[in-house]
Amino acid sequence: MLNVKKEFGHFQAVDHVTLNIEPNEFFTLLGPSGCGKTTLLRMMAGFETPTSGEILLDKRSIAGLLPNERPINTVFQNYALFPHMTVAENIGFGLKMLGRSRAEIAPIVEEMLRLVRLEGAGDRPVTKLSGGQQQRVALARALAPRPKVLLLDEPLSALDLKLRQSMQIELKRLQAETGITFVFVTHDQEEALTMSDRIAVMSKGRVLQVGSARDIYEHPADRFVAGFIGETNFLEGAIVEAKGKVARVRLKSGADVAAAMAEGLPTTGDVTIVVRPEHLQIAADKDAALCATVETVVYFGTDSHVHLRLADGSPVIVRQQNRRDGTRPPDVGAEVGLSIPDGVAQVLKD
Amino acid sequence: MADVAVVRSPDIKKQSGFAFIAASCVAVLYLPMLVVIAYSFNSANNLAAKWHGFTTSWYNVVLANGEFYDSAILSVIVAVAATLISTVLATAAALGTTRGRPWRGQGSAYLTITTPLVVPEIVTGISLLSFFAFLSTVTGIDLGIWKLILAHSAFCIPFAYLPIRARLEGMDTTLDNAAADLYATPWKTFRYVTLPLLVPGISSGAALAFIVSFDDFTITQLIAGPGETTLPLYIWGRIRRTLTPELNAMCTLLLLISLAFIVLSFVLSHRRRA
Repeated sequence: MLNVKKEFGHFQAVDHVTLNIEPNEFFTLLGPSGCGKTTLLRMMAGFETPTSGEILLDKRSIAGLLPNERPINTVFQNYALFPHMTVAENIGFGLKMLGRSRAEIAPIVEEMLRLVRLEGAGDRPVTKLSGGQQQRVALARALAPRPKVLLLDEPLSALDLKLRQSMQIELKRLQAETGITFVFVTHDQEEALTMSDRIAVMSKGRVLQVGSARDIYEHPADRFVAGFIGETNFLEGAIVEAKGKVARVRLKSGADVAAAMAEGLPTTGDVTIVVRPEHLQIAADKDAALCATVETVVYFGTDSHVHLRLADGSPVIVRQQNRRDGTRPPDVGAEVGLSIPDGVAQVLKD
Repeated sequence: MADVAVVRSPDIKKQSGFAFIAASCVAVLYLPMLVVIAYSFNSANNLAAKWHGFTTSWYNVVLANGEFYDSAILSVIVAVAATLISTVLATAAALGTTRGRPWRGQGSAYLTITTPLVVPEIVTGISLLSFFAFLSTVTGIDLGIWKLILAHSAFCIPFAYLPIRARLEGMDTTLDNAAADLYATPWKTFRYVTLPLLVPGISSGAALAFIVSFDDFTITQLIAGPGETTLPLYIWGRIRRTLTPELNAMCTLLLLISLAFIVLSFVLSHRRRA
């Protein structure tokens, strides 16, 4: 759907990004602030012009169209509701600008109010609403003209945790009910994982990986993606033997680990492997391949995070489920063994 | 935790002598006006006389004075026309200097628009006078009353410009983006979003322009042709004849008209914001 580049002076905000967003998809642009995701979104909306490249919508270029000529609507980060209008006037604004009659607009506004669960609030001034309600009005306003694509620019960042979590589910429901393509921008990996059909992880103007939440979490393409999505452990080592998609890696601490390896990576030399904290297991016997000292244990309710240090000094985190069967996380200062089950470690592209 | 901040913040109102200084400021500002108003009810024949007794007869004298009416009406006509012209131009200027892409010379444009505020009025007056004189010698056109209206419009522009610009700068430009995103053309964005939100700025700009035009003396004195006697010019002329409390009554009425416009613009802008 787009293949663009955007420069501000010498700064490349968006660097040769090529993305293909499918119809009816919940697509997320995920990355730290300054990675170019908002610039990309603003180019789709028409507020920025690409320095080079094309933006196609249904195979037609929209690069030359003004924002008001694009069938794309935006939910802004600060909502940007019109403060001098009521809720209903805000929601009906797009349709009014499209030249629809009052008789046509009224039922659509009613439907939108129902959709975002704000029935009966149509006559209220938007300035009297809470943050969560303003958020819903902003959504309804952007959905009312039934755009081909809905752009959402970090719309949940101003809400508190509880509200944010319920809005995540709400957004997913709205997307399913309306069948509109959602392009969602966020720096919050949890938001991205819970809502998206597919995620594009961005850094420094480039797209590093595109895939489903599961793909990206379980098979991160490189070190940045692995570190940005969820908690993870990086272990240094060298390849001893590479056979097809599995490599045997000897870690600096001396243990051998079998790790999955993508095709096309070098089959010799130093590598980093990545293991998710929930995949590591603490073994009672100290004779296990990996030995570590427990430094801190943090209780999180459903699970505990055990911070350990390996013999060679590198830190490791293990996530253990808290069960009621009496198993308890190890004591601080204890020497424990660690085991890495087959198939959970992965060799990273650096 | 919250009260720590409260305790530490110094309150200027608690400083010793604050009440005295505040009272002095208020007195300096308003006492002369109160004297003018009070003495407009003095039954003595002389402006400088002692308090003689209460009367409203000076108001009857003023309201029966045809010259007073004529000059008041002329003042209102000139002020309304100058307010309309200068507010429209100032709005355009404010939009041009705050919206859209930044352009070369934007800073100097701001200076160009606001510098007349610090140019001595007598200089502005003389330059307008020579400009109109030049115009009539070269083209033979005498603009009549329009000279006064144009001169007033000119010096009202910066007064109208500042509040409008301040309001525009305080406005969230993503609202313009949101309107464009929702299929509003640039004109419709202005008509349905920018302009309604700008009303408080425009009305206070217009109120300032009106007041500045309504009570202008220096420039008007230089530009006004024969028979074009505005209210300030008329009152000035009367001082040189007899000094009676009728003058106080006139000034009080002038004050009332000014106040009425300020209150009107205040009410208008606050109703919009609520």
